Amino acid sequence: MISTDPPILSVRDLSVRFGALVAVNAVSFDAMRGHITSVIGPNGAGKSTLFNLISGAIRPSSGRVVFEGQDVTGAPPYRMLAAGLSRSFQITNLFFELSVYENLRLAAQFLEGATRALKPVSRSRLAQERVERLIEQFRLQHQAHELAGYLSHGEQRRLEIAVALACRPRVLLLDEPTQGMSHADTAETEEMIKSLAGELSILLIEHDVDLVMNLSDHVVVMHQGAKLAEGPPAEVRANPAVQAAYFGDAHHA
Amino acid sequence: MAEHLLALRAAVMRRERVSHSTLHFFAYAFIALCLVFAAIAMATGDVFFFRLATEALIFGGLALAVDILLGYTGLLSLGQALFFGYGAYVSGLVLKEIEPSFWTAMGIVLVTATAFGAIAGIIAIRARGVYFALITFGLAQVVSKIVFNTRELGASDGIIGIPVIKTDFLLFQVDTGHAPSFFLLVLSIIVGLYFLVAYVMGTPFGRTLVAIRANESRVPFLGFHPWRYKLAAFILAANVAALSGALYPMLRGFVSPELMFFQVSGNAVIMVIIGGVGTLIGPLYGAAILTGLKSVIGTFTEHHLIVIGMLFVLSVIFFPKGLVGHARPRIERILAARGRES
Ligand SMILES: Nc1ncnc2c1ncn2[C@@H]1O[C@H](COP(=O)(O)OP(=O)(O)OP(=O)(O)O)[C@@H](O)[C@H]1O
Ligand SMILES: [Mg+2]
Repeated sequence: MISTDPPILSVRDLSVRFGALVAVNAVSFDAMRGHITSVIGPNGAGKSTLFNLISGAIRPSSGRVVFEGQDVTGAPPYRMLAAGLSRSFQITNLFFELSVYENLRLAAQFLEGATRALKPVSRSRLAQERVERLIEQFRLQHQAHELAGYLSHGEQRRLEIAVALACRPRVLLLDEPTQGMSHADTAETEEMIKSLAGELSILLIEHDVDLVMNLSDHVVVMHQGAKLAEGPPAEVRANPAVQAAYFGDAHHA
Repeated sequence: MAEHLLALRAAVMRRERVSHSTLHFFAYAFIALCLVFAAIAMATGDVFFFRLATEALIFGGLALAVDILLGYTGLLSLGQALFFGYGAYVSGLVLKEIEPSFWTAMGIVLVTATAFGAIAGIIAIRARGVYFALITFGLAQVVSKIVFNTRELGASDGIIGIPVIKTDFLLFQVDTGHAPSFFLLVLSIIVGLYFLVAYVMGTPFGRTLVAIRANESRVPFLGFHPWRYKLAAFILAANVAALSGALYPMLRGFVSPELMFFQVSGNAVIMVIIGGVGTLIGPLYGAAILTGLKSVIGTFTEHHLIVIGMLFVLSVIFFPKGLVGHARPRIERILAARGRES
């Protein structure tokens, strides 16, 4: 897969420090349009923090984030979403006291834009159709009226992805989407992610090494805040430094 | 389109219709009760109870404002009387000093309360949870003390001698001195505010407020800036409180610094809780109940606050969702069953 397109997302020398800890240390990489770019690394490597920096949840101490050619460093999350970048969370972050349907409709509400501000959401066809599509795609038909807080863990993880997807982003950041899922759900989510790529560019944090190797076009390995290696999956897997730092641990974990 | 999706769409629409018509059922029932009351009071020619009921409606508007913040945005305001008193003072001053006109008073209150609400909101919504409550409490405390000590505003006496006004509406004229017609005017305004706010809560703006209450941290990742929404909710609530307050001097002919005191803010929160948090119409019921109780119990004992305090504790224990919150599922079931039959 040789592509001459410019990357959809570029990260350059991105760093953030929390007091004495440099949680992300001068990380650079490119994510190509339509690809699945995975970020792996042991616990505490700084993967989620990297996502926080890209999605605007926290501001970097230094470095740049370039999205579709625009410098978006330090842009707040709602700007990033408006620009076309959405994310899911490692720790499920839903509206637990609202129904599955309402969670999705809130997430799809952005599609309507400001011109429909005076129209009740219950009459928004665009949001309605988007929500229905997602409910079907993520097999939540029987839970549509259930409160998100009452769903099983696996269902909540599916809803977490669906909520991130509702606004039709061009780039989707998934932070350990299969965390705690059953084998069946994991396999299904893997298929889902694969089918989403292409139209969508995906950044994926995953601990499941087999899943990463199967899915990714490109893998970035992080260790203690810094980038240890990057490249196609097979190459990364064969890298001795990566094996020492990550695969060694992961097999014992 | 797949059959299960059609079924889902139908189910969603049915649920929305039922929950919508349930809340409006309580609104229509409230209007009906008010009209029945008006007919009885008119027949007996009782002015005192008309005035009291009008006051209950006015304080109901304040409670409605508290519910916008508490029930929808998750912000507990302990100083909403600040805006209520603000509206009352501005309205009183306009009527007395500028022009004895209903529309001028309401118009000036609306415009200036928006500006005042924006300033106070920018200060208050920086804080969350209990700190928000303390800031609203503090702001109201500071302003009420300033008013209390300002001779130009009548200091502790407030402003007295606010004239009775006559206002032309399209088809009829309302005289604030005529208890029944002023009652009906206030009823239309407060219920109108209720329907307006209820509509707003169904728009993307209102749903985003609900999202903020449920989990503010996710809201920015759906594309919305919580700060803006909270500020807009704060300004809306300031306006609802101020417009309600603006009716007060038309009813009583005076305003006093007590209107901004914590007692008034606290009562509004109690009205919301006994009526049903997050129901909008509940606060109007709460206002009627609390005002009625105070007046009835007040005729038997000086210690009516003790009795009301105990009733409040009991109602929170036995009806934690308030009157409307408690009755809502029952009415919903009835309306849903009727919807299936037809
Ligand atoms: N807001 C914060 N303040 C202080 N320290 C933080 C903050 N966020 C993350 N850290 C620290 O930064 C380091 C990297 O954390 P991060 O969550 O990014 O790791 P991770 O690679 O996602 O790990 P995991 O695989 O366990 O999810 C950790 O030591 C963590 O404690
Ligand atoms: Mg993480």
